[in-house]
Amino acid sequence: MAITLQKLTKTYGRTLAVDGLDLEVRPGRVTGFLGPNGAGKSTTMRMVLGLDRPTSGRALVNGRPYADYQWPLREVGAVLEAKAAHPGRTGRNHLLAMARSNAIPAGRVDEVLGMVGLGDAAGKRFGTYSLGMGQRLGLAGALLGDPGVLILDEPVNGLDPDGVRWIRRLLRDLAAEGRTVFVSSHLLTEMQMTASHLVVIAKGRLLADAPMDDLLGGHGSLEDAYYELTESAA
Amino acid sequence: MRAAISSEWTKLWTTRTIWWALLAAFTLMAAAAGQNSFYVNNGDVPATSAGDVAVLSVAIAQLAFVALAMLVMTSEYSAGTIRATLSWVPSRGRLLSAKIAVVAAVTLAGGVLAGLLGGVVAAGIVDDASDITGGAVKIGIYLMLLGVLATGLAAALRGPVVTLVVLLMGIVVVPPLLQIPDISVLNGIADTFPGVAGDHFLSGDSNPYPQAVGLLILMGWAVLAVVAGWRVLQRRDA
Repeated sequence: MAITLQKLTKTYGRTLAVDGLDLEVRPGRVTGFLGPNGAGKSTTMRMVLGLDRPTSGRALVNGRPYADYQWPLREVGAVLEAKAAHPGRTGRNHLLAMARSNAIPAGRVDEVLGMVGLGDAAGKRFGTYSLGMGQRLGLAGALLGDPGVLILDEPVNGLDPDGVRWIRRLLRDLAAEGRTVFVSSHLLTEMQMTASHLVVIAKGRLLADAPMDDLLGGHGSLEDAYYELTESAA
Repeated sequence: MRAAISSEWTKLWTTRTIWWALLAAFTLMAAAAGQNSFYVNNGDVPATSAGDVAVLSVAIAQLAFVALAMLVMTSEYSAGTIRATLSWVPSRGRLLSAKIAVVAAVTLAGGVLAGLLGGVVAAGIVDDASDITGGAVKIGIYLMLLGVLATGLAAALRGPVVTLVVLLMGIVVVPPLLQIPDISVLNGIADTFPGVAGDHFLSGDSNPYPQAVGLLILMGWAVLAVVAGWRVLQRRDA
């Protein structure tokens, strides 16, 4: 019950972005979050982080709304977009400001920079980073508070093959340590190799919430299973 | 709260914006003080003491302070970092308070320093070298309130262009337009604008209201802007 959605709903004007989602994301495994563009994945993640206000329903992290935590970065690490730092600030200073906001010791900054392999680029301004370096900095930020819950929106975007392999291993290791890892992606093959549990939504509604093996059963690949699900929902 | 302030303080000093803004503020202050001092010596300007000249010269340098204060908020939207920032500090009230605390500290200290600089430059040119410290303190308080106003307004409006336009309207554009026809009703309206109220506080004249009332009006505007900014932050999605 690390992440709990209860009848979570979000409307923009007359558009229904998220439609009564009920979901439990559990610790100890990588949960993949799939759905077509505009399915409501990012909106859902933003509501979990207290950035967007649900029209109705609730999103809880370890039983409490995210915004209720005094030090949220110690509960939840999130990567929502690769462009989340000021272009004029160095990667290290970005993480330093982030650490101070949650009373995390400054020494932790160099630790996470080392973990994501950004040590050399840490003194360069964020505006000079490639997309892949931006993703690594985002991950460093997510790990900063050593949180039990990780929420990652498209974390492999812009990473080279080495980076993709590295992140796959990292996410599995984090889940194996008993953490909750909730990760969205468009890349079905990648997801098939990373996640052990899948949540599929389309048009804001839950289509599937099942172990990877159950979804794959009878299908040659996750891609086939995914298309059968989303096309029957359309 | 202390953690949020510490984070905002770190953010402020780790981009180049602050250095450019302070450089611009001090340069403008020194240049305006020099120019106004010569006007004083020629008898073109009513000010007499070096402190008065510094007060007079803040009219231009204030724009750099206003821009700095505003950017603390609007850059979160233009650089797309507001979501990250709110995920670090989810309480909108705490975040806005932290930003305002940082802006207030920097504009107060920077304003006093700029006032001292202007006073010292003027003291080298005009005959009466008095009032430098008193003038600098007033300038610091004025710029602090203006900075808080700009931060609150920026939180309400989000965009740098619209925020700057509204601020300039309220401080330097609309009041003179109202005052030009010299009709008492329009003058009365102009006297309630933050820029004019600030002028009355700075110049210390007792007409149309005492210095303290000018300060209170400016404070009122700052509080209003902060409440507006807080409400928008609270209600709208990031």
